[in-house]
Amino acid sequence: MYRIPICIGMVLLLLGAAAFGVSLWDGPAAWHTDMRTLWGTPIALFVLWIGLAHAGTLISAIFLALGFPLDRRTSMIAELSTLCSLVVAAMFPLLHLGIIENFYMVVPFLDARGNFANMRSPLVWDCCSIAVYAIASSIFFVTHLLSEKRESLKKMVRPMSWLLFPLVLWVHTVVSLDFAVTFVPEWRGAFFPLYFICGAIYSGLALVIILLMAEHCRVRLLEKLMLALSWVMAAFWLWEFMLKGTFSFEVVFLGAIVPQLLWLRPIRDNSFVIMLVAVSAILSLGLERYVLVTPSEYNVANAFGWVDMGLVVFSLGLFVTLFFMLRVRLRKPLEGDDVVMGELSVQDEESASPVKGELSNNFHLLRLPLLVGFLAMLLYVLWAVSVFPDPMTSLSVANIVPLCLPLLVLVAMVVLCARPFWLVLNRRTKYAFVALMGVAGVLAGMFWAGGSSVAAPGAVSVQELATFKPAEKVWEARCASCHGKDGLFNEKFVREFYPVPQKLSLERLDSLGTDSLVSVIMHGRINMNAYGDRLTEEDARGLVLYMRLLAGEGR
Amino acid sequence: MDAVLNSLCCLMALGSSMFLWRPPRSVFKEGALISLYLVLFMAFSFLTMEGSDATLEYLPLRMLALCICFSVTSIQNHKTRYLVMAQVLWLWVEFFGGVSLVYRGLDMPWTRVVAIGSCAAGSVFMTRISREMEFILMVYWIAIWMFF
Repeated sequence: MYRIPICIGMVLLLLGAAAFGVSLWDGPAAWHTDMRTLWGTPIALFVLWIGLAHAGTLISAIFLALGFPLDRRTSMIAELSTLCSLVVAAMFPLLHLGIIENFYMVVPFLDARGNFANMRSPLVWDCCSIAVYAIASSIFFVTHLLSEKRESLKKMVRPMSWLLFPLVLWVHTVVSLDFAVTFVPEWRGAFFPLYFICGAIYSGLALVIILLMAEHCRVRLLEKLMLALSWVMAAFWLWEFMLKGTFSFEVVFLGAIVPQLLWLRPIRDNSFVIMLVAVSAILSLGLERYVLVTPSEYNVANAFGWVDMGLVVFSLGLFVTLFFMLRVRLRKPLEGDDVVMGELSVQDEESASPVKGELSNNFHLLRLPLLVGFLAMLLYVLWAVSVFPDPMTSLSVANIVPLCLPLLVLVAMVVLCARPFWLVLNRRTKYAFVALMGVAGVLAGMFWAGGSSVAAPGAVSVQELATFKPAEKVWEARCASCHGKDGLFNEKFVREFYPVPQKLSLERLDSLGTDSLVSVIMHGRINMNAYGDRLTEEDARGLVLYMRLLAGEGR
Repeated sequence: MDAVLNSLCCLMALGSSMFLWRPPRSVFKEGALISLYLVLFMAFSFLTMEGSDATLEYLPLRMLALCICFSVTSIQNHKTRYLVMAQVLWLWVEFFGGVSLVYRGLDMPWTRVVAIGSCAAGSVFMTRISREMEFILMVYWIAIWMFF
């Protein structure tokens, strides 16, 4: 039954693999990049796929949490699509960096790594939140998958859906902040959080509708929701036009006008046309993401080269292959004894949701996990407040809050499912679970220790400054991540976190003077972090000398 | 925004809430009404506010969130659940809209965020919501909108 989609997926994957390989080899020069935002096709694809990834679990979790009548097998298809979309989405930030081996730089291990991750950047929140979302979605999927035959897991599914429901909205909101907090005029938008969430649900609904078609199943409720969301999206596009004057006819036509065909009964009754309408919705959101990420280029056809098209084909092929191979592999546990799919009848709904007052009934299962999660969140807040005491580097509440909920949900989810899973796991898996928890503990410890703002005991001494070697070490450890090893910073990397720093030139260094530069290093300035709590004044003077050396040698 | 326009926004949200979630309910009716209100609030904000005021960007969403808060008081089943969810939506719009603007140099509306958050948290523990309590909640929301 699934051979044809798997074959199509593999063909697409192989076709796109060439573009993927070229992109890996050539880096950012290979694809179309907006010269103003320095973002291009991989980021547009990342935003599209992460949106699609959010919808599956969101639909399943919302329906489960609110007791809507959706069959388990249908929910599981949606959840599986989430996991596959996440894998596809994860490829593109790595590709975009151009230096895949340095990906760990985004993980906020702070000083433990010798480089400073900017905790005020939404990109860092994004990385952490999506990682938590991937873990939570996997746990939810496995619990839901195994719950058919195990009563202890079955009663965990609904409380888990209450945890996932806000998380998925939160994570996509954080994705929207990647744009909303910047100074790019086209990305101005305090309305972006809700706009992104609606867009994600809209495109995700379309994806789930297509995947259900492959199962020869239609869920009218999802189709109605998709149509209703097309109106909401049209309102958002209108608002964007009113605020910024940006308008893309293709996006509005495919995303807001084509879905209105569903008003016509002959079209509504034709599965193939419904599928085309769903494809149109995804295409519209894909184009919209592309226009958003590369605001200087409105004509997508002009901007797209063969590599850009190949990356699209690659992502599609990877998703289709992965989804249908997993679908075949998980056929038995996924389908269980179910013969029906889609919406349940009213009688089924009542029998499927015996819990009436879900807030109070789920509360006794959720209270301990939530308390432990809340405690973990408090620890994080205390850590974040105490680790950056300097006014120049301190985090505001608005910088700390975005990671609070993901942390709370992650801990609560692990605590919630630890006992039921312990009872059903075999010995080997138990050992693996304990080892995994140990690794998680070590990582948490590294995170905590790594945040220390006290200078390491092995810090560069004054005597060692007799040569440039120690200053070079300090430069490479503290400054090179932004200013570059040779003082000619990696502009592409830096602009995503900060505005571009000044280039080193002897004239500029002379005009500023040594004392002024030492002061900037010690106390920070605008976007330059203060290093007074980690470097001595002698270290800073050594750095200024080294900067002069770089400026003299480099130019 | 001056007090008259602010109260007009609140009045529009209150008036619009009359028609949401009224039986017979359907996905189409509620979806169409929400989209229509969104367009209406957008047009109102666009025409009455200055384009240079960054808070204009999320004013229509704030109005919609307030409208949804008012409207859920008419729901009979699972009222507590929907009340909490509506207030969390408002909190969401205020908080993340505020975070976006903080990076552009505007102040975070902390008093408003805390007021909505505490009301939403308190609503979780309401087992029965009488008509009097609904009225008090609506007055509280109007006070948050007008004064914070």
